[in-house]
Amino acid sequence: MLHAILYELQTASEPMTLRTLGQKLNVQQSALEGMIQFWVQKGRLELDDGMGGASEVSVCDHKICFRSCPGPAQCPLASDPLISYSLKRN
Amino acid sequence: MTEYTIALAGNPNTGKTTIFNTLTGSSQHTGNWPGKTVARKEGVWKHGGDIFHIVDLPGAYSLSAFSAEEVIARDFIVENQPDAVVVVADATNLERNLYLAIQILEMTPHVVLALNMMDAARAQGLKLDIKMLSSRLGVDVVPMIARVGKGMDKLEDAMVRTAEQGQRDKQRPVREIKSPIHYSAPIETALSRIADVIGQHEVMKKRYPRHWLALKLLQEDETCIAKVSDMPNTEAALTLAHQEAARLRALFSEDLDTIIAEERYTWINHLATDVVQGRPQGPTFSDRVDAVVTHQVAGLVIFFAIMWIVFKLSTDVAAPLVGWIDGFVNGQFAHWTIELLALVHLQNTWFASLITDGILAGMGGVLVFVPVLMFLYMGMAIMEDSGYMARAAFVMDRYMRRLGLQGKSFVPLVLGFGCNVPAIYATRTLDNPTDRILTGLLVPFMSCSARLPVYILIATIFFPAYSTMAVLAMYILGIIMALMAGLLLRKTLFKGAEESAMLIEIPAYHMPTIRNVWTEMWQRTRAFLESAATIIMGVSMVIWLLMAVPVSGNGHFANTPVDDSAFAHLAGAISPAFEPLGFGNWQNTSALITGFIAKEVVVSTLAQVYHVPQQKLSPEEDTGFWAQGQEAIVDLFQAVVDTLKTIPGIFGIDLFPPQASTGQPALMTAIRQGFDHSSGGAGALAALAFMVYVLLYSPCVATMAAQRQELGRHWMWVSIIMQLSLGWLLAFIVFQGGKLLL
Repeated sequence: MLHAILYELQTASEPMTLRTLGQKLNVQQSALEGMIQFWVQKGRLELDDGMGGASEVSVCDHKICFRSCPGPAQCPLASDPLISYSLKRN
Repeated sequence: MTEYTIALAGNPNTGKTTIFNTLTGSSQHTGNWPGKTVARKEGVWKHGGDIFHIVDLPGAYSLSAFSAEEVIARDFIVENQPDAVVVVADATNLERNLYLAIQILEMTPHVVLALNMMDAARAQGLKLDIKMLSSRLGVDVVPMIARVGKGMDKLEDAMVRTAEQGQRDKQRPVREIKSPIHYSAPIETALSRIADVIGQHEVMKKRYPRHWLALKLLQEDETCIAKVSDMPNTEAALTLAHQEAARLRALFSEDLDTIIAEERYTWINHLATDVVQGRPQGPTFSDRVDAVVTHQVAGLVIFFAIMWIVFKLSTDVAAPLVGWIDGFVNGQFAHWTIELLALVHLQNTWFASLITDGILAGMGGVLVFVPVLMFLYMGMAIMEDSGYMARAAFVMDRYMRRLGLQGKSFVPLVLGFGCNVPAIYATRTLDNPTDRILTGLLVPFMSCSARLPVYILIATIFFPAYSTMAVLAMYILGIIMALMAGLLLRKTLFKGAEESAMLIEIPAYHMPTIRNVWTEMWQRTRAFLESAATIIMGVSMVIWLLMAVPVSGNGHFANTPVDDSAFAHLAGAISPAFEPLGFGNWQNTSALITGFIAKEVVVSTLAQVYHVPQQKLSPEEDTGFWAQGQEAIVDLFQAVVDTLKTIPGIFGIDLFPPQASTGQPALMTAIRQGFDHSSGGAGALAALAFMVYVLLYSPCVATMAAQRQELGRHWMWVSIIMQLSLGWLLAFIVFQGGKLLL
């Protein structure tokens, strides 16, 4: 079950959704999320919440951003960030 | 009267707290778990003359000791040995919830599984075989709907029964528990060897369940090893566990933690498959929609169609409101300001010039575009709130990967459409330095929202019938340039390994709420207004100062012919570089110079350098403050009506015939004449080249600072030179190529 996730990611040529993978492995999506979380904790999968270091740096606090958007925390495209996972490189 | 302790465990959001509140009512007290900041809730439930102390354990998905919550829950069950544990599970997500239940069952057999949210499960068409579940787990399973109290009586009965049994079992000399899971033979063999040694140790066998402790030692759980090491004469058990772990690691080529988790998940999956019937087999409605929306061709068409609508909203639909703000700021408001200055005897002074020609002209020029940004932000908020944005990113990711970009690069690039600065910082998410630098170099190609007012102003002046098309073309050009540059750089400077596919969490579709859309739209608009009040005002004042200083002695401070101002001379020195691009006069150059600081000030600079002074109203026109105020309100109402009338036009339905145009405002006419003059009569081509240059040259000093910080000084300069060169080259091709073709 767990290793099937890694295998699917290694062999897929295109991005896939959690729903698609869950259907493929016949696993309920919430259970799949748990398995993915396990791999994230083990350091084999990497979580990307789209914010990278931006939320830590807090661009706006540095007063260097002459912005037309209110910074990463409320960015039109990042306030509800896309969550993705990928295999961690060694 | 007997006292019992019952622990409530479960995943977060399973209704555990509802059950706790129902049982304990007002007899609750809260505190913190010793040495932790995690809240501890306890209460008393009196039943049949007995007292049950109910302990609400923190919500956790497993007991693997990855988080404080998991450690607390695990330690409490093992160390405090409650008489019973109620595991609250969400019936709609049984497979995930069972992972925690199984781990608890390996620690104590005195478990009741409260299968909550049965109504939601039924609504999803799920049928659960409760008897089979109970039989396979070896515990009582109580289906319930805690929210309405349904099933509580049965849960209470099961709790009492299990707690009584739990207390009786405490009298036994050894805590013997067998996991419902049968691990693979090599693991079971190792477990029984270690459990045998534990069984010979008086303290260990009383304090811990043998099988569970054997499992933890085999998994080389640091907390458990530390606790066992503190006991005397435990070396044999620890050594054996260590040897068995090493043997199994070599056998499986994997750590034991992972192998055990793998076997648990597989066992649970088989159990859930047997127990849960009615799981959706075929594609749901959402799946069918996604099949189209995320299709590699149809998805791209839909994405651009939606972007077209968003830009149509930002141009055509916002136009009446833009016109109203322009009329108000440069009409009534400017008139009132002049009157106020006259009232305090400051008319015709440098201060009056600063206010009207500097701040009012600069700020007014930008404020006009507030409706444009509001419509853009509204479009973005709807896309985001509906769940479409994640699908759009999914579609775009596929193309980026094909062009050699790392899968994760698309997130910073998409962020760049909002603002390039956080997008540069978001490249930190890329672990490979090569990918990070490459993506950081491509972010400036993404057209940030500060560039939108420039496109709209120029497109409205020169391409009024095709303004939406012109604006959308700029965004598409930015994407194409980023992809081409990415492909080129990936094939040359940044050769990298192929990235594996990504797994993306796509949210469910839902109807955007007016409240959410308004909140998001307003927050972003407010941020724009804040930046207008700071950087744009500051730059406007500096420009005014430079325009107020005479260079060759004609005129005096704040009363200088603009062509003789310091600003005109400064910009004029650079403008020959833009002559081949068709916009090489000092006015356009000055806007590009200030645009190097921030793109927000391009429009305000154009508004200042092309500023047409407000004419004093004749006595007939000067109807007084109140009448002018009323006129402004009537005009606003009309602008709102006109805005609503344009909405069907987005879809090509013209319900209302267009009214005769009253001509462009004086500022727009001045800008048109400026481009016509600088290009030798090819103003439209020069304007298009100007838009391309604004899209491609360095976005702002903040982006450069972010590049310097994230990528280093060297790559910052590479980026600046690349943007300036590409911008110049493409604008040259547009202008000169266009002249050849037309």
